[in-house]
Amino acid sequence: MTIRICHLYPDALNLYGDRGNVLCMQKRLLWRGIRCEVDSLKIGETKSLSGYDIFFMGGGQDFEQEVLLRDLGSQNGQSIRTAIEDGKTFLCICGGYQILGTHYETKEGRRCGFLGAIDLYTTGGDKRLIGNYAYRLEEPSGTETVVGFENHSGRTYLGKGVKPLGHVLKGFGNNGKDGTEGVRYKNVFGTYSHGPVLPKNPVLCDRILSTAIHHKYGEEELLPLEDAFETAAHAKMLHRICKS
Amino acid sequence: MVLKTILAAGACKIARRVLHLTGRGGTTVPGRIAMAIDRDVLTASARGMHIVLVTGTNGKTTTSRMIEKGLSLAGEACLLNRSGANLLPGITAEMACNLSRMGKPRADWAVVECDEGALHLVTARIKPDVIIVTNLFRDQLDRYGEVMHTREEIREGIRLSPESLLCLNADCPLTATAAEGLSNPVLYYGLDVPAGEQGERELSDARYCMSCGGELVYDAYTYAHLGAWRCPSCGRRRPRPDVAVIELPESQGSRTFHVTMRLGEQEHKARVGLPAIYNLYNALAAVCVGKALGMPEKPFLDAVASAEAAFGRMESFTVGKCEIQVILVKNPAGCSQAMAYIAGTDRAYGVAFCLNDKIADGTDISWIWDADTEKIVCDSKRRSLWAAGTRAEDMQLRLKYAGAREDEIHLERDYGRLLEDMANKEERVFILPNYTAMLEIRQVLAKKTGGEAFWKG
Repeated sequence: MTIRICHLYPDALNLYGDRGNVLCMQKRLLWRGIRCEVDSLKIGETKSLSGYDIFFMGGGQDFEQEVLLRDLGSQNGQSIRTAIEDGKTFLCICGGYQILGTHYETKEGRRCGFLGAIDLYTTGGDKRLIGNYAYRLEEPSGTETVVGFENHSGRTYLGKGVKPLGHVLKGFGNNGKDGTEGVRYKNVFGTYSHGPVLPKNPVLCDRILSTAIHHKYGEEELLPLEDAFETAAHAKMLHRICKS
Repeated sequence: MVLKTILAAGACKIARRVLHLTGRGGTTVPGRIAMAIDRDVLTASARGMHIVLVTGTNGKTTTSRMIEKGLSLAGEACLLNRSGANLLPGITAEMACNLSRMGKPRADWAVVECDEGALHLVTARIKPDVIIVTNLFRDQLDRYGEVMHTREEIREGIRLSPESLLCLNADCPLTATAAEGLSNPVLYYGLDVPAGEQGERELSDARYCMSCGGELVYDAYTYAHLGAWRCPSCGRRRPRPDVAVIELPESQGSRTFHVTMRLGEQEHKARVGLPAIYNLYNALAAVCVGKALGMPEKPFLDAVASAEAAFGRMESFTVGKCEIQVILVKNPAGCSQAMAYIAGTDRAYGVAFCLNDKIADGTDISWIWDADTEKIVCDSKRRSLWAAGTRAEDMQLRLKYAGAREDEIHLERDYGRLLEDMANKEERVFILPNYTAMLEIRQVLAKKTGGEAFWKG
């Protein structure tokens, strides 16, 4: 069994700890004896994306995201949309999550067209939404809690009928108003949580891995792992967030 | 001198003494009191003084100390905000307490270490003779947003002081271009020779040209995103430094550097009394300031030769039979550099990572995943591993994913016990704390070593 991960635009979207997510997926596959290959798509490169099983897209600074938008207008944008519609597994975080939507509207009212892969959009806000936060996953992603750190000025709104990844227990989530966090569409997992999100949330990581394995091989039973450190880090942060 | 200023300075001194007597080293409160009495106290206290201001992500404290030493060796009475209080209230307190009872500054010179985010508040009030920007890295993102945002804040700060001479790091593309379009005169410093690992960086805080968005190309690297950068699309490139290291012998002692520096067109043999490449940049910045001020180079070269570790930055201690070195790490670039230095030493070693997430540290600790922890964890010379601090669980997780076995990693919350554990080790031990963790460890270390049994790196 081999799972191929493609890190999308690591040169532009790597804001904080993003590579920890890729490392986490890689290790948790290897520890189970599943082969894992990690590759990347950089700005200016064009290649077929059809051979990959999991795509990861992280967060970036505004400046770097502008550079990126030019590239998404090329063939790469179409390839990413096709991969999503084909049921490939995606984990998209913060800026990488916003980019999946139709557009971003700045505070000043300027509109930037995004990928348009999912019916959601983001507007710029004055106050950055920052801090440790927690949310509970919603089906079909499970029901466990996720802890992470959010830091975004954008407010994201999901289109009608578009499912969130979970609902906020403490913190802001998508927009600080409607209690939703992230998006869950086909096999796409979108979230504002960096931290990075996966190491401290092994259940979410395994859900993503099993989704990809199921799509490729039709089975999704993953061997359990000794997750003492992961669980300890998760529990400690969840306790702190809920206490605050 | 206005009476209000004298009153403000007096109140500031009293507040400071009271805090000191009650065992608190507070630096914020006295400054706030002074500002409440006289809004312009900082401007008034700095009147007639020469000021050198140091800002940037990494190296502020060490660079400031080197400059202060250089000025002192040049025979100037010099003030320094030593306590690391580098926000507006702390700087105000330092300057106000420098006033005599008659309201005259006691030292003619001040070296001001200034937080990047506070620069525009400070330069709105005082106009430094020289402003040094050491470098720009991602740092404490939750406080400031992004590197680009910090860079804009620095530009805003410089804009408020158009007469200040700038000393900028030529090798950091974010810093070297930070004064573009501003009228300030500029001197640059940098390394004319490559250092450390070459090859494209997986992670970089400066991949694209600030002006045209084109991808930068490096002909050589020194560390992180620093090096001989250029932009093929618009032609911008690393400026030629006015002060540079032109020769860096490959084999260096673990405690000092012997290099050749070029000041203008003159070559000098120089010694830098601290290890690791980033200290070489701190030394260059200090020597560059001497040149900017038109002073003789000798006191500044002497200052960097005899440089001592600043508070928690490469300080060494012995506890029991164990030799301990403390290296402050606050962000991925600094941490990766510290780990490269450790992996480059020639003996077996243990490492303790102490990670806090208090406000002064930044509450977002995700940067630990961007640091090259694998370099240490997978090094054959590496022995014990400890994780400590308020985010010890996250740290031990990082170590696990870097390749350590779970049973190799010791989680220890109590610094007293941590040091006892270290005291029995045969190997040398490095402690890598972030800011507030460093303060806590230092207190415990000082108690253990009687506050004096440490020797200086």
